[in-house]
Amino acid sequence: MAVTLPEGDLQTRLESYLDGFKNRHGLEESVVEGNVVRVAVEPGFVPAVLATAREALGIMHLAFITVVDRMGSFEVHYELLDLRGGIVRVKTTIQGEEPVIDTVTNIYPTANWHEREAYDMFGVAFKGHPDLRRTYMWQDHFDHHPLLKSFEISTRRTFEGLR
Amino acid sequence: MLKDEKRVESITLSGRESGRLANPDIRDEFGLETLDMNMGPQHPAMHGLLRLILELDGETVVRCDPVMGYLHRCQEKIAENRMYPAVIPLTDRLDYFANMHNEHGYVLAVEDLLDVEIPPRAEYIRVLMCELMRLASHIPSLGFLMLELGAFTPILYCFRERERIQTIFEAVTGARMMFHYIRIGGVKADLPPDIPQKIWDYIEGLEQRFQSDFVDLIQGNEIFISRTRGVGTMSQEKALEMGLTGPPLRCTGVDFDIRRDYPYSIYPELEFDVITDQAGDVEASYRVRIAEALQSIRLIKQCLEKMPEGEVMGDLGRRLRPAEGDGFGRVESPRGEFSVHVVSDGSDTPYRVHYRDPSFCNMQLLQEVIPGHYLPDIMPIMGLIDPVSGGWDK
Repeated sequence: MAVTLPEGDLQTRLESYLDGFKNRHGLEESVVEGNVVRVAVEPGFVPAVLATAREALGIMHLAFITVVDRMGSFEVHYELLDLRGGIVRVKTTIQGEEPVIDTVTNIYPTANWHEREAYDMFGVAFKGHPDLRRTYMWQDHFDHHPLLKSFEISTRRTFEGLR
Repeated sequence: MLKDEKRVESITLSGRESGRLANPDIRDEFGLETLDMNMGPQHPAMHGLLRLILELDGETVVRCDPVMGYLHRCQEKIAENRMYPAVIPLTDRLDYFANMHNEHGYVLAVEDLLDVEIPPRAEYIRVLMCELMRLASHIPSLGFLMLELGAFTPILYCFRERERIQTIFEAVTGARMMFHYIRIGGVKADLPPDIPQKIWDYIEGLEQRFQSDFVDLIQGNEIFISRTRGVGTMSQEKALEMGLTGPPLRCTGVDFDIRRDYPYSIYPELEFDVITDQAGDVEASYRVRIAEALQSIRLIKQCLEKMPEGEVMGDLGRRLRPAEGDGFGRVESPRGEFSVHVVSDGSDTPYRVHYRDPSFCNMQLLQEVIPGHYLPDIMPIMGLIDPVSGGWDK
């Protein structure tokens, strides 16, 4: 069965995405810049907003998830492409040193490995993830998250409890 | 020592409780259990350093779990401690079959932050180099696919072509693989005066050899067809769900190419077709790669014909201090969408660099597609995705 990709004029499509987010979630700060719809949400609403993007607006592709350590809080960026020129950038900020956020794997299955990578590198716990384990670092006895700003690259790291 | 609850948590997280013990019903009618097997990381046929934990029922795979990290260098962390231009040689080491595309993606992200104007000649040289790189990646990937099926001859033809393209790169950039050629604001140096003619001669020759060396030799071969047709078949929904891009997505029939749909550089001025195929199996991905290589030849010819005269480096300060904000770069690498997200805090080093590598994202397919196939079919499916170990391990 063939997948139908969005058609028509890019600007009207972007406006319809923006209206969709505003009507359903009241995200008044969202704007259109060039071919990008910028959406800023509270961390609790991320799955709902992404479900709207996928189910109602038909945005099929989650390109990547970036986590940025702001020392005290964590920014999480979700980059969605509609595969025909439109981009939706969803940004959220998690307060606190031990970040927890709901998973989006049930909406975009490709988020599986992106979230695993974020967990590995930043220790962001994705609630409800089916298979949250490290991608790159050692599975056992390694208790660090290398991309945190508190992790200094010149320090030698030890494996706790491993001989 | 780790605390007990942490150990229990890590065992749960590492997936040891899944698979055989969690699914006792995959025993067959004789009550026989399945067999766990490791494939790689040091496997002669494996694409780089990848370990697959396989669960076998006879010769059929019931579970496949890729384990990555054997080549992880934490490039994102290293990049946070270097100045903006000094990250470019690191990006060469990411996907070492698409070095130019990595450089291009990173440079586009930084230029997005800086808002500089690139001389048109530099843009043409960038696209020319990227398309040569695509040829030098697509053609050997056919050779690897055939090598995995047990045919040794095609890889000799493929590496002959790659060798000649590398000679061109050596004349232009001074290096054969790790180029450091595309710079922020332009390219390192202009093309040597005799190189455009040499590229033209080479491309003309390749076009003549192409049919006999890469199509007639492979496409009708009985063994090739029986090993690849219907292997690794996936639907369009599955491919989009798994976040595939590049030839693995296009071989299912989804018409998506960054060069056309999210245009960058001078691609809007050039004519090319986006190649799709309907079958969505290994053979279709081979046909897509063959046809894309021909499109690259077409693009290279247009670049050489249209290339304007002029400077190749924009005017930038010696020390780059982009304003605070986010920069995004997105290019179509031979394996799919390569995106870079650079976060600046106003200093001369990036605050955060994130690479979205197509090898990493496309490999999620292994978990979904390999179960149900025979063990020897794993290698053709790896040839469908064609991942590069430096890419998925960053």
